[in-house]
Formats: sequence, C-alpha cells, structure tokens
Amino acid sequence: MSAAGMMMAGGTLPGMLAQGIAAHRGWIALALAALVLLALAPLYLSPFHVRVAQLFLLSAALAIAWSLLGGFAGYWSFGHTAFIGLGAFVAGLVETGWTWPSPALAFAVGLLAGALACALLAGLIAYPILRLRGIYFAIAMLGVAQVLGELNNSIDAFKGTMGIVLPQLAPRAVEPATFYYYLLLVAAAVTLAIGFAVKVSRLGYGLLSIREDEDTARMLGVPTERYKIQTFVLSAVLTGVLGIIYAHSLGFITAGSVYRTDFSLNMIVYALLGGMGTLIGPVIGAGIMVVLTQIVLGRLLDTHMFITGALLVILVMLAPRGIVGFVKPILARWRGGFR
Amino acid sequence: MNAPLLRVAGVTKRFRGVVAVNDVSLDVPAGSICGLIGPNGAGKSSLFNLITGYLPLTAGEIWFAGRRIDGMDTHLIAEAGIARGFQIAKPFPELSVLDNVRMGALFGRAGPRDVAAATEGALALTGLADLADRPAMTLTVGYLRRLELARAIAQRPVLLLADEPCAGLNPTETEEIVGILRQVRDRGVTILLVEHDMRAVMSVSDRIFVLDAGSKIAEGAPAEVARDPRVIAAYLGAPEAAG
Amino acid sequence: MTLILQTIVDGLVLGGLYSLAAIGFSLIFGVMNVVNLSHGIIVLIGSYLSYILWRTLGIDPLLSIPLVMVALFGFGYVYQRGLIQLAVDRSSLLASMLVTFGVALMLRNVLVLIFSPDFKSITPSWAFNFFVIGPITVDLVRISALAASLVLLCLLALVLGYTHMGRVIRATAQQDLAARLCGVNARHVYGLTFGVSAAFAGASGAILGIVLPFSPPDEAHWTINAFVVVTLGGVGSPSGALIGGLLLGLISTATSQAIGPAFPNAMMFLILVIMLLVRPAGLLGNAFSGSR
Repeated sequence: MSAAGMMMAGGTLPGMLAQGIAAHRGWIALALAALVLLALAPLYLSPFHVRVAQLFLLSAALAIAWSLLGGFAGYWSFGHTAFIGLGAFVAGLVETGWTWPSPALAFAVGLLAGALACALLAGLIAYPILRLRGIYFAIAMLGVAQVLGELNNSIDAFKGTMGIVLPQLAPRAVEPATFYYYLLLVAAAVTLAIGFAVKVSRLGYGLLSIREDEDTARMLGVPTERYKIQTFVLSAVLTGVLGIIYAHSLGFITAGSVYRTDFSLNMIVYALLGGMGTLIGPVIGAGIMVVLTQIVLGRLLDTHMFITGALLVILVMLAPRGIVGFVKPILARWRGGFR
Repeated sequence: MNAPLLRVAGVTKRFRGVVAVNDVSLDVPAGSICGLIGPNGAGKSSLFNLITGYLPLTAGEIWFAGRRIDGMDTHLIAEAGIARGFQIAKPFPELSVLDNVRMGALFGRAGPRDVAAATEGALALTGLADLADRPAMTLTVGYLRRLELARAIAQRPVLLLADEPCAGLNPTETEEIVGILRQVRDRGVTILLVEHDMRAVMSVSDRIFVLDAGSKIAEGAPAEVARDPRVIAAYLGAPEAAG
Repeated sequence: MTLILQTIVDGLVLGGLYSLAAIGFSLIFGVMNVVNLSHGIIVLIGSYLSYILWRTLGIDPLLSIPLVMVALFGFGYVYQRGLIQLAVDRSSLLASMLVTFGVALMLRNVLVLIFSPDFKSITPSWAFNFFVIGPITVDLVRISALAASLVLLCLLALVLGYTHMGRVIRATAQQDLAARLCGVNARHVYGLTFGVSAAFAGASGAILGIVLPFSPPDEAHWTINAFVVVTLGGVGSPSGALIGGLLLGLISTATSQAIGPAFPNAMMFLILVIMLLVRPAGLLGNAFSGSR
C-alpha cells in the first residue's frame, strides 16, 4: 500500500476530516503558532500596528469566505459586498429597532438576524444565478450588490443615508480597539477552520471537480447544483457575519460605508495574489496587501488604487497562480532532492 | 430469462432537424460485454449521452436495473451505477492521477464508503499505481485512456459505458485495455463498449449492436455480425458500388 | 400625456448616448471575446481630452471629436497589442479581463491625481439654448449630442459593412483560424478593433462631457452601462448597441419618473440580472456567431 493509500480512510465527514488533518499536520501547527502570536500581539505591538493586524484579520477572513465559492468552485463573485452591507444593516436595524436588556444580547440577536438575511438572500438567488458561468456570474453578482446598495440607500425605512449608530459592544473595562481585535481574531480563526473543513471534505472535492470541469463532474455523480448552492449560502453567511462585526467596529454605518465595490474587489485581489483555489492563498494575499497599503504606502493614500491596479496587472502577467502557485513548484523540487 | 440490465426502447433523438438516433432498441444483459459499432456519425456517442442523461430524449424509454432512467438528472444516474469514459479523455487536468481516480470513488455508486479501497483497486487494475502523484495533464494518450477507465471503475459502477477506450493506441496498448475490460467484467461489471478497432471489439464482446446513420441495422454474436451483408455495406458501401 | 411623451423623448435622447458609449465595448467583446473592463475609463479619457482642448485651445467639444478619436485609436491599438494580447497569450481570456481591470484602476488614479476628483463639465457657448416642439422641450445640448451619436454609429456601421478593414474585422471575428489561413494578421486586426473601439469610446466621452458633469469614479458606471446595453441588445453590432442603448435610456427615464430619481441605477441592474438569466445573448444575439 502506498503512503497515500495509508492516508485514505472512508469518505464520510469524520473520516475525511481526520484524514485531512493528518495530511496537513504541518500547516495546522503553523496556523496554531500564528494564532498564538496574534493573540499576544496587543502586548508587543503599538496601537497602530494592532489596528493594522485587525485589518489583516478581517481581510483574510473575508478573502477566505469569498474563496469558498470563488477559489474552490471557480465561481467568481464580483458582488460579495452585498452580504457585508446586508448583514450590517439588518443587524443594525434589529439592534436599534428594539430596546434590548444588554448590548451582548442585542449583538447576538443582530448577528443571528443578519446571518439569516444573508442566508435567505443567497438561498433565493442561488438557483438562477448559479446557472450563469464565468464573467456573466461575476457581473450578475455585481448587479445584485449594486441593486441592494441602491435600495438600501434610497428607501428611507432602511436608514441607508441617515445611517445607524450601532450599540457599543466592548465592556467598559476593555479598550474597544482591543475588544474588536480579539473578536476578529476569533472570527478569523473560525472562518479558517470552516474553510479547512470544506476543503478536505467531500464537498471540497466536489467543488474542485466543478471548477475543473463541471459537466464531467456531474457525470461522475457529483451533485453540482446542491453543492454550489450550499457553498454560496455558506459563503454569504460567513461574509455577512464578518460584515456585522466590522460594522460594530465602525460604530456608525451608512449604505455607502458598507456597500463598497472595493470590498468586493479586494477579496478577489487577495485570493488572486496569494493563490486562487488554495486556503492559505487568500490569507497570504490579504497580509501582503494590508501591509503594503497600510504600512509601506501609508503616507501615499491617494496612490492605493494605482498600486492595486498595477499589482493586478503584474500578477496576471507574471504569476497567474499567485504566490502559492509560484512557490509550490520550487518547494516540490527542493523536497524532491531529499527523497 | 433474466431481465436485461440496460434496456433501450425505441429511443430517438432529434437535434433541430437532424435525427442523431432513430428508434433504437437494444438490451444489454447483466454481466456481459456488449459492443456498439458503426461508421462515424452513426449515433453511438449520442446514445451514450442519452443514457447518461446528458441529453434529453426526443422519444422512447431507457430502463436500467428495472428503473426508468430517461429524464433523470445526470448525477443521479451516475449514483444509480452507470459510469462513463469519454471518447476524448476528460481528466481533471490540474489534479493528480490519484485525486482524479479518488473523485470517481468519492461520488460513485457507493458514495462515501470504502473510498480508499475503490481508489486503490481502480489504480491497481489499470496499472496506474506508480503514477498516482503525477498531474493528469502530463500523461500520454495511453495513460490518459487508462485514467479515464480508472476513474470510471473507481465509481464502482454496475454498468460501464466505455467510449472508444482504445482510440489512438497501438496494438499492444489496445490489448492491455481489452485485458482491463475483461477483468472489470470478471468483477461483475457490465460493459457497453464503443470501439472502432474491430479486432478488439470482436474478441471481447459477447454481443454486438451495429448502428448506421442513427438506426440499428444488425445485432448478434460477433461472428454473425461480421458476416452480415448490411453491416459490410454500411462500412464499405453497397456491394454494387464496391464492385 | 405630455409627461409620458417628454419621458419617452428624454429616454430616447439619453438612449442614443448610451448606445454610442457602449459600442466600443460591444465590438471588443464580439470580435475578441475580451471583456474590456477599462472601457469606462477610456470614455472618461475622451471626456478629459476634450475638456483640455476646450479649456486650453478653445476648441468646441463637438469639433474636438475627430482629434480625440485619432488619439484614442492609437492608444487602443498599442494597449491591445502591447498588453492585452500578451495577457491572453500567457494566461487566458479571464486573465485579460483582470488586466483591463487593473489598468482601469491605474488610469483612474492617474486622472484623479491630474484633474482632482471634482466634477468637471464642458459648456460651450451654445449650451443654453433649447428647442420646443409642440408640448416637448429638448435642449440643444442633448439634441446635438444625440445627433452626433447617431452619425458616429452610422459611420461605424458603414465602416464595418463596406470597408476593407471592416470586412477583415468581421471575418476574423467569425472564424479567426480561417481568416488567418487567408493571410489575415489576426493580431493586427485585434489591434485595429481595439483602436476603433477606443476611438468610439473616446468620442462618446467627448459628447457626454457636454451633457453631464464627469469625474474619474464615473468610469465604473460607464463600463457597467456598456455591459447592460450589450446584454439587452446583443453583442458586436451597432444595431445591437442602438437597440440596447435606447431600451436602457427609456427604462432609465421611465423609472426616474415612475418610481423616483434615485432608482434608475437599481432598475438598470435589476434588468441586467434578469436579462442575464433569461436571455444572456441579448435581443439581437451575437452578431458574429452565425458561423461559429
């Protein structure tokens, strides 16, 4: 039996998770180490750098959430900001529409309501919109985001222009910046874990086959429609939850501050930069871009768009597989020398 | 007399004026290898597309293991136990040989059970175990054909539709594929084989169906079919014209 | 009744502009299967070029159109052969789309740095006149913009239908391998197509500059606009762009009137999504798909 053979258990979820964890022992150790480092960050980083780290966590998590549908299944959505905005506003309206005994409860209800709204929207449009492929799907999602943003902005009941002041979540004893940092750390870790579970499960394999050749996948017995819809809803809910947390960290939101095309755009760029289709790629991409825009180019705010654009062009021309795609063959050759 | 595993009954497929399959009926007995032959354009691949549910029927019925499957969703037909290898090999290019075959095992008839055994078995049967880690797109034609078969075998099908598995292969490679098909049949899988290599088809099939221009023109044991004047005419042209 | 007529007229006038603003995008999509996400920024470059010519040399914007077209034709040709073709060769069509997106971002930033994000507009001396036809009022600016658009669209249709270059473009679009076997330099043809497309996009920018105030972030709107027009009317032909544009114009003004001035955009996207689901090829389909 080959080494690979010994790794293969059954195809049920527990079996595949166990197998996946075993196969990725090194990566998991690395991730845990990184988590510990990040958890201790407020102790050794300046407040500015903690904010940068916070932005990194949010960006990486969003990129992973997007990547479930975009990277794994190959359906690139250009409109994921729709879920950020929808989640944020539904949560905001629910939390401010009634008086809640405590901010924690308000948040919990808001989170649930926002997540549910995203799930509903995704579930409703999934079947028709996932029949579109490639650029048509991408633009259709962009359209959805625009429609939602405009409606949210124009209909007074949704308070898009007036804005919503969200209840302060941080307990009085804790510095808000620190509080949201840890909240996002947990959210990012959970998102990563979910991404990993998807990747090593049967669903993940199915999505992979959909990306490679959807018609052949169906003939192999992959329930493509069901998998696409499930992934779309999951991606939407994760994005929505992250959007809700982000909104609370802002404190005050308008339609224009949460329905932003550059949110959608960034998610794609992070995944592309790091390596489309991988789990670690979006994280790497987010890290590089956040450091680049916040630290390296921090002073040159008005050139961010230029840099992002230039990066995109260079990436596509020189490293279409992203950093992971660039590094992998080098690593393989290096390891090959050890056999 | 056992009911046939696959029954194609009066199946017709019309594409906007072109009749690709014209009132074709055939029965494939369980545990056999049946050959489906005919000149190019006879409708053989179309028939496979109809059986797997990739295309809807214009008329007729298709029965599999006592269930009517025409009109069923493609992936449900696969789950029911029909696997297909393609005429033009369609592996998942970026994935390794192992992952390609495993894909078949994960989603085949037995679903998530015994994935390891099915994958290992398929790789061993097709002689691909040593190439397990290679990306599929680096394989030569001969190995691609085997990968195509391995993936289908990993699905643990009841019926295997093999669409020209020997296309582009030299006689030695063809013999190897035929050997694999025999072993697959010995494990209880029924095979419906489309092939242009006459020697291969004749040597391995229990029964042969001949299609020409969408219609079935002959069926029977290989020897009978080889002598049938209608079959000869279909391949070579009418005797008067050849004379 | 007057209101309905006025709305329809406004819609058609706006629609004519939309058609011209979209034809470049449509051509590239039809001939080369490239989704040019930098279309909108090219339109805006046309606007800004016309603006500079007007402010520094006093050239009337309508007269600046030929100059803008020539300049952008050159830009388009170089852009296609120098960058986009490379992206397609090295990666894929999807990659070329991303490259155009990156370029759009870069150029947008450049425009903001040069001109500031403030809205600019071009107001020639004759801008404040208007016509009254029966109960309908149309201002001179819009009418002349519409006229210019229609003239240019006809010009393009003539070029595509009756000139050698037009024939070569159409042949390459329908069957590029066969065209190449007949001695057509496909890359050169793609360059020409992009050049023509950029020229017309720039022309529409120059015209739009007198009708609407413009600023760099508008580029996204004009790219999406082009996509919607193409989705509505069909890919690759001036008539498709005309139908799509007119429809879009009518829908815009009708929505503005019936539901509210804040909603035309939302409606546009709703129509886009619905069309994509129901008939993605557009009303006239792909002009070049006849023998594909």
